[in-house]
Amino acid sequence: MHGFDLREALRSFRHHRGIATTAIVALTAALTLAGLFLMLAHNATVALQFVGDRREMVVYLRDDVTDSQRDDLVNRLTGLFGSVTYVGKNAAWKDFAQQVGDPQLLEAVDQNPLPASLRVRLRPELLAAPAMALAAKQVGEMPEVEDVRYGAEWVRRLDDITRGLERGALAAGIAVALALILVVYNTIRLTVLARRQPIEIMSRLGATDGFIARPYVIEAVFEALIASVLSLGLLYALQQAAASQISGVVFLPWSWAAAFVGAAVALAWLGASLALSRVLRAVGA
Amino acid sequence: MITFDQVSKRYGERLALDSLSWQMNEGECVVFLGHSAAGKTTLLRLITHETQPTSGRVTVGTFRGGRLTRGQRALLRRTLGIIYEDFRLLGDRTVFENIALAVRIAGHSRDDEVIPRVMYALEQVGLQLKQAAFPHELSAGERQRAAIARAIVNRPAVILADEPTGALEQRSADDVLALLRRIHGEGAALLVVTTRREVANGLPGRVLEIEDGHLAHAPSGPGPETEGGLPAGEFAPPGAESGISGASPPPDAAAPPTEAGA
Repeated sequence: MHGFDLREALRSFRHHRGIATTAIVALTAALTLAGLFLMLAHNATVALQFVGDRREMVVYLRDDVTDSQRDDLVNRLTGLFGSVTYVGKNAAWKDFAQQVGDPQLLEAVDQNPLPASLRVRLRPELLAAPAMALAAKQVGEMPEVEDVRYGAEWVRRLDDITRGLERGALAAGIAVALALILVVYNTIRLTVLARRQPIEIMSRLGATDGFIARPYVIEAVFEALIASVLSLGLLYALQQAAASQISGVVFLPWSWAAAFVGAAVALAWLGASLALSRVLRAVGA
Repeated sequence: MITFDQVSKRYGERLALDSLSWQMNEGECVVFLGHSAAGKTTLLRLITHETQPTSGRVTVGTFRGGRLTRGQRALLRRTLGIIYEDFRLLGDRTVFENIALAVRIAGHSRDDEVIPRVMYALEQVGLQLKQAAFPHELSAGERQRAAIARAIVNRPAVILADEPTGALEQRSADDVLALLRRIHGEGAALLVVTTRREVANGLPGRVLEIEDGHLAHAPSGPGPETEGGLPAGEFAPPGAESGISGASPPPDAAAPPTEAGA
């Protein structure tokens, strides 16, 4: 790239402000919609991870389990499935009393009927419903264990929702990406077609394709850069507004934002190059 | 320099050129005179490789017929200076910048290479004082002179002019013809296509009349006698060793360029 190409790109940008502004507005609109989708997908992923991370398995112990047997069981479960927290009979009763809140109701119960339990926070690879079911089955067969609960139905539904969201996000993502490619390509193509006459004149004067194309490609990249930064600004404002109403709404990670700008610029470069090659073929016949 | 050997060009059913053969030597001036749709513009488009002959061969300098690559075609066009009836100046550039663009296209990117060449071309056409003007600020005659400056700035071996006075009133047309005569007098080969006999008569070269894609009859004017469009005798172009054809360097710029031009 030459200083002349940059100067030419800036000149074209200045002299054709109308076309450049139209291109930037159209690109900003398309990129904002695509970015909105990305932000929704990211927030859905974050929310599902948050819910998924709270999945745990509750292992109820038999009343006759000794302390050493319990410690041994804790060690085995920690090694096999994840972190384990012991909740004794008294602690369980305290939790229960706190949840019920009505002392008269609690007085009606003679003695603490709640078993001691172990709360197991499963490792990430064991969080899917089938893995949890298998883990629960294995734990249930251990002699110290009275019962195992992990909310099988809830876990299955959460998994279904996650899968559905992933598939939907993939399909919508492909559709949005295709729409974005078309919008960027056609927007840049229109700006190039609007400059058909100077392109034709330069071709008649003997300019090489590279000489003609470089300034226009640089201009398209400028426009995409401005549009992508503007759309990120809009998305940030939107996220801030949403976060003030709904807690936990987050902006795109910075790596995603950088990739977003990079993708917009790459698309503009590609769109401008393709559009220019078509125009050059047409005018230079 | 330019040779058409049995060249035909067909657009669908219409035969624009029919087995045309003619030749033009270095430094020569040739005028093609003919009515609209006689095939004159097709002839120029074949020389610039904007289109390909349906049959026959067009040779321009060392570019010998056939389909050129895009790079070769660009190179060919850089050896030609082309003047159009409608000027084809870039409206968003000053006169200086329009001419400078042709210099940069020819591969000269440094300002100290570009500026003297442009100033020399401006001086040749008498537009030094209009160098900062945009095309829409010029009269038609001035625009054509700017286009001529752009055509000669790289000192091409041959200048092609497509109806160069077509959009001009009489006085400007006379000025442009005088300018073309002078440029030719300094050594550039000149090929003009026109519908106007007074233009053909106002130029010093052979006149070839073209009618429905054929050469109508032998040329008139001061050029060598030919038969069937082919040159019959030797032709010694005036000033072939100097001037436009590339021998002498441009003089130093008469004035510094405008800011817009730099």
